[in-house]
Amino acid sequence: MRNLIKQSLRRTAWIARITFLEAIRQRFFAFLILLSAALVVSSVSFRFLDFGHGELKFVADFGFGGVFFFGSILTLVMTAQLFFAEIENRTALTLLAKPVSRWEFLAGKFTGVWAVLGIFIFTLTFILGLVMWGRHQELVALAEAAGRVPPDLSISGVAAYALLQWLRLGVIAAMVLAISSVARSFLFAIVVGAMAVLAGQLQWIAQETLLKDKDLGVVYQSFLWLITRVIPNLQQFNIGDALALDVSSVTNGAVWAASLSGCIYIIVLLVLAGLGFRRREI
Amino acid sequence: MSVDLAITVQGLTKDFRVGLAGHKLRAVDNLSLNIPRGQVYGLLGPNGCGKSTTLKIILGLVPATAGKVSILGFNSATSEARRRTGFLPEAPYFHKFLTGRELVSYYARLSGVAEGDLKSAVEAALELTAMTEAGSRTIGTYSKGMLQRIGLAQAIVHQPELVILDEPTAGVDPVGAAAIGRMILAMRAQGKTVVLCSHLLGQVEQVCDRVAIMDNGKLVLEGRVDEVLARRDRQVISATDLTAPAWTAAEAALLAHGAKDVSISHPRRSLEELFRELVKGSRDA
Repeated sequence: MRNLIKQSLRRTAWIARITFLEAIRQRFFAFLILLSAALVVSSVSFRFLDFGHGELKFVADFGFGGVFFFGSILTLVMTAQLFFAEIENRTALTLLAKPVSRWEFLAGKFTGVWAVLGIFIFTLTFILGLVMWGRHQELVALAEAAGRVPPDLSISGVAAYALLQWLRLGVIAAMVLAISSVARSFLFAIVVGAMAVLAGQLQWIAQETLLKDKDLGVVYQSFLWLITRVIPNLQQFNIGDALALDVSSVTNGAVWAASLSGCIYIIVLLVLAGLGFRRREI
Repeated sequence: MSVDLAITVQGLTKDFRVGLAGHKLRAVDNLSLNIPRGQVYGLLGPNGCGKSTTLKIILGLVPATAGKVSILGFNSATSEARRRTGFLPEAPYFHKFLTGRELVSYYARLSGVAEGDLKSAVEAALELTAMTEAGSRTIGTYSKGMLQRIGLAQAIVHQPELVILDEPTAGVDPVGAAAIGRMILAMRAQGKTVVLCSHLLGQVEQVCDRVAIMDNGKLVLEGRVDEVLARRDRQVISATDLTAPAWTAAEAALLAHGAKDVSISHPRRSLEELFRELVKGSRDA
């Protein structure tokens, strides 16, 4: 039994490795990581648009927003593209004719994609952390000279943000895989995946409307009920600026709860992907 | 179930649902086949006759609507069966950034070849397919013939007992096709069973021991190549040192004219002729 698990993990790791190598070579990945890096670096230049908020908060919001936006696009496109490339190029035929189970195939695809997303998130968060740290040093010096209280910046909070974002992109990747496992076309998977991400980002609005507004029609109420229970809540990961700038406002429990639910979402979505893919004709 | 059979197909039926109304399209209709071990077996038929679907069901890639398939005594959908099987799909596509050697190593690992045996297994597969030198090049630089050969290498790297080849010579020039034919015979010499799907009937005739011809999802003929090509409704008179006037005489007269080694046997038609005759009504025959 132990040997079987070891062999299964070995096959999954090899599929993940090839998926990673394929994804990392994509021009789309290079383009988005460069574009996002340029956006993050340029965030300091746009600080005059801070709308009255603290300067570091603006930089953090701008950078975190860019990383999430481009990260979501990358996740949607790359996951669906790598899945459908295997089906349309018929490499899945060769692969699944080997003693490789469909679960191993999906787990390998997910792991390879998630590894690339890790590179994307950690590289950009590192750049963003550098930008924020540099500006923080200047602001601390200015505050001390003026006798004001200097702003806070937690580098460990930025690191925790990176981990949560990686988890969030993992949830999106698993969601796209679940959709792709039953979808017949790349475009369908992308469109439905994008709608699911949007719905996931609006979860708290849906939950609040469902709780507060008692005059909703049955259809609308059922729709909101379904959305709040079926679509993963992606909004719970939106604590990046608080983690970095006001770490005391975030309890340890909130970070752990978000991490745990992220892991559960990934597992459940991968199981759904596996069930959808189990009897798919290749 | 006989241990001498590599593949057993019993009453295999496959229906596809097409269109919004879900109309039933029968791709394979109550097919039964017994493919003996250690032989080269040709599965022939016009486009759309159900042979690729049959292969996919045998490999566990598509579920059957009805019927049973076993490979070397194992249910074909199990990994036990797939561990003993090698497969080359039609017009194979592989990751272009890998070298041929990396690709074969990758598939060897997926097939369960132990790390200690990996290098020798990969080199043996590359050698059999004449890809040892080209193995260091990336797949993006390969010609069509080389792609087929590296595909063949990945199919046999784990020393499977059964090798299934779907159109292994499609798009390959005659020299390359002949080389692939020799590789198939080499595999048979090693005791492997080879199932071959091809439209190149001349090649099938040369390398196959048995053939099955499908049309409209049904089996229309199955047997040894020599047997199915013999025309038992006619006789042929053959002789050596035959002079021109003897052509017009009867068998007795031939002997009288000094011909030697006169014999009567069944004349042979080509596999291509037989195929055309059997699938005459089909669109793409």
